[in-house]
Amino acid sequence: MSLQLTDIVKSFKEDLVLDGVSLDVATGETLVLFGPSGAGKTVLLRLIAGVIEPDEGSIRINGADMDGVEPEDRGIGMAFQNFALFPHMDARENIASPLIARRESKTGIKRRVEDVARLLKIDHVLHHKPKELSNGQKQRTALGRALAGEPSILLLDDPLRNVDAKLRFEMRLELPRLLKDQQATVIYVTQDYKEAMALGDRIAVMSGHGIAQIGTPEDIYLSPANTEIARLFGDPVINLLEVTPERGEAGVQVKLSGTAVPINPGYTGSIGHSCILGIRPEGIHFADAGTPGAFPVTIEAETPLNEKTVTLAATENKREILISRPSGTSAPDSGQAHIVIDSGAVILFDRATGNRIALPATDAAKGGAA
Amino acid sequence: MEHTSTLEKVLRGTAITLVILFFMFPIFWIFLMSFQTNETILRVPPSIVFDPTLSNYTALITGKLDTAAGTLEISFMKNLWNSLFLSAASVAVGLVLGVPAAYAFARLKFRGSEDIAFTLLSFRFAPPLLVLLPLTIYFQQIGLADTYLGLIWVYQLIVLPLILWIVRGYFEDIPADVEYAYRIAGHSWGATFRKIALPLAGPGIAAAGLLAFIFAWNNFVFALVLASADKQPVTVGALAFVTASGIQYGQVAAGIVLSILPTFALALYAQRYLVEGLSLGAVKG
Amino acid sequence: MSDATMNQKPRRGFRVSRGALPYLLSLPALLTCIGILVPFFTAVAYSLQRYRLSQPWARKWNWGENYLNFLSDPAFWNTLKVSLTYAFLTVGIELLLGLGIALLLQKRTRFNNFVSIMLLMPLMTAPALASLMWKLMTNPGFGILSYFASLIGLHDFRWASDPSTAMLTVVLVDIWVYTPFIMILLLAGLRSLPQQPFEAAALDGVPRLFVFWRITLPMLTPFLLTATLFRVIESIQQFDIIYAMTQGGPGDKLTVFQVEAYLNFFQSTNVGRSAALLMILWAITYILSNIFIKNWLRLRERQRGEA
Repeated sequence: MSLQLTDIVKSFKEDLVLDGVSLDVATGETLVLFGPSGAGKTVLLRLIAGVIEPDEGSIRINGADMDGVEPEDRGIGMAFQNFALFPHMDARENIASPLIARRESKTGIKRRVEDVARLLKIDHVLHHKPKELSNGQKQRTALGRALAGEPSILLLDDPLRNVDAKLRFEMRLELPRLLKDQQATVIYVTQDYKEAMALGDRIAVMSGHGIAQIGTPEDIYLSPANTEIARLFGDPVINLLEVTPERGEAGVQVKLSGTAVPINPGYTGSIGHSCILGIRPEGIHFADAGTPGAFPVTIEAETPLNEKTVTLAATENKREILISRPSGTSAPDSGQAHIVIDSGAVILFDRATGNRIALPATDAAKGGAA
Repeated sequence: MEHTSTLEKVLRGTAITLVILFFMFPIFWIFLMSFQTNETILRVPPSIVFDPTLSNYTALITGKLDTAAGTLEISFMKNLWNSLFLSAASVAVGLVLGVPAAYAFARLKFRGSEDIAFTLLSFRFAPPLLVLLPLTIYFQQIGLADTYLGLIWVYQLIVLPLILWIVRGYFEDIPADVEYAYRIAGHSWGATFRKIALPLAGPGIAAAGLLAFIFAWNNFVFALVLASADKQPVTVGALAFVTASGIQYGQVAAGIVLSILPTFALALYAQRYLVEGLSLGAVKG
Repeated sequence: MSDATMNQKPRRGFRVSRGALPYLLSLPALLTCIGILVPFFTAVAYSLQRYRLSQPWARKWNWGENYLNFLSDPAFWNTLKVSLTYAFLTVGIELLLGLGIALLLQKRTRFNNFVSIMLLMPLMTAPALASLMWKLMTNPGFGILSYFASLIGLHDFRWASDPSTAMLTVVLVDIWVYTPFIMILLLAGLRSLPQQPFEAAALDGVPRLFVFWRITLPMLTPFLLTATLFRVIESIQQFDIIYAMTQGGPGDKLTVFQVEAYLNFFQSTNVGRSAALLMILWAITYILSNIFIKNWLRLRERQRGEA
């Protein structure tokens, strides 16, 4: 089912939490709400679920206004960050609760609970009370409870937050398939950008009482709306360097360590302005001295990071730069080296506002290339 | 703290002994007295050596008091029954009225809720006679004078604030998300209240009920003002009994023992919750 | 399936709107409240009337006269004096004694827990019955306490019947009943204090008396305040113990507010004066209970925060 939020405003006493949030989620879509804690993600979920009411604005499910519609009548399933299992009921009763509410037959309930439990690999602990379950089992039970009623809208509030790293990794692999099978509209809250990129059809980045940017994971990774969002996505974090673009031979260029580095010619409008140049660590490569655009750096440290290796280097004026390359490829590991910047991967931000400087001519093409 | 001197140990031991002696002796002495006849009670000097007799208790329970002047009817068992009935009924009414209200105050914060909760609490601190004296006149007019119903209503003055504030704390301790989860799973607020809030606050509700029972049982002034002899609980009845039984001190003692045993038993059973109850939910034991 | 959940809208015929629900839940309790507020306002009216049950024909509004009369009424000043003396003596002694016992029992040992539970028995005794117990023990003929008094040379010590020792006797009963109240609250308070300051002080070899005055007492203050105010409010209204013991006698030695009001109402049938007395008592307790509730709320929030 589709979900529409229009100009939602919500404050608690004097604390403004959401200030004019609008959101459109299509049927069957998985939308990830991503942002730091306190950005209002959980509040937004609760508003959709109907357990709290907005001060202003409207929530529509499939076009029907939800104002005054009780939580139990909204056809929603929700998994809470802290699981919120019913402590006095065993896992089976927990998972069965949406089915009991609908007064389904005993055999129907039993079958559905066992199907869900098998799917989530908790069929062997159905008779346990929540306090006898491990964190991972609790999390799966909470998920099972949200899924059991086959809700048309599924709200998942950071369900992997309170489970250990191994389980989180497993679930991150399992969840996309699970969510697709449900054919439900999913709103998924997380603070982990990898989870957001792995699960979301689209990501809504929340900050400062509202949605700062909404788009596909690629959009957000390649064209972050501002430096703040650019920093939130990507590990190692994006390099941000203060530059002032100038006119070069081939179009636009910036000076890094005294070397002219060409950037996208579409940035002509920024010539002479104070800017911040953003370049992802994987957009920087080691090169031989003398390669056009190559400039010298001093290598300071190197860290292997699973499938890639990250090098920390410093430019001549002591600005630090992170360089990432696939593990196994060779690179200078100490002393002086030269690097080149992939000019197509450069993102330019306005230094005063932090906002990305738009590239009207090439934005679409670049998005497609990724 | 580890290196306590011998002198300190002795002082501590003496202090504890004195404390126990002061607080336990009256109960111990009355208990002994309840197994004695006037003959041994009136001995000078008093002694704890005597032939125990159950005659005091049998007289109280059968309601027949044999004196030199003949057999006397005593209504002590009726008083005991009144205490039981008044306390139990007051607590039942208090729970029915107080638990939903406690839930409303804890969960569904609404306009004026705190004011109402505090008004209810302040009843606990107002002089009871302030309400009781006009009530004697009103009760005459509306026919509640000397009825159980009227008494049970007035008992809410002590029972209701206690239940309200203790149970409210227990409802507040239930994570809101647990209740939300049940609503979202498709249950009405009523079902959520019955299936989630009530069972999870269950121990607290039971404790509040037990404590309210003790306070109702121990109350004196309500029944003194509003009840006639046949509706009186033991607290009031025992006082009248002193004059009625003349010089049968053993029976007075036995009456006291029978009247305080139920509260002792309940207090022992609910001791974990006593501190919380006595502080109206402010301090956890 | 998913469409079905959306469409099964109003299942129940009767639905309560969100706004009305809390009021509906607390309504019965509210009505009980109102039932109690009516007699309260009646009492206010009585206090402003010349009203004697024995002379109903002479009943009329005399506005503040009952209160004005108090100024020149030695019986009123006696009541005020007796009530305050009683409250001051009982709460003062109970506080010192309760704190002392709580400190003695502070360590969580099996023996200490057992003693603290045993000490609750007087508190669980109905105060009226406690008076009766003490009456039996202070009987001049066979009372064990009268016998003890004679052992230390106090022959014919008449306890509550003697004007000079009546106050002492009822205060003793009050102490017996209510010291455990203060003790148990302070014990809970002592045991809930964080341990680090004490461990640090022990490590530094800080003298224990200093630790008590500078660490224990300040940290215990909210508990002390709550317990003290609670007891002051109750003690200044004490009725059960005094009425059961002496009915306010001998003479007017123990005519505290509520006893005096009770006697005014039922013996002198002077409803106006009785109500005016209770209004003054109410004003005192109202001020005290407001201070109390502030403290109590702070303590409640703090304790809940920790849980």
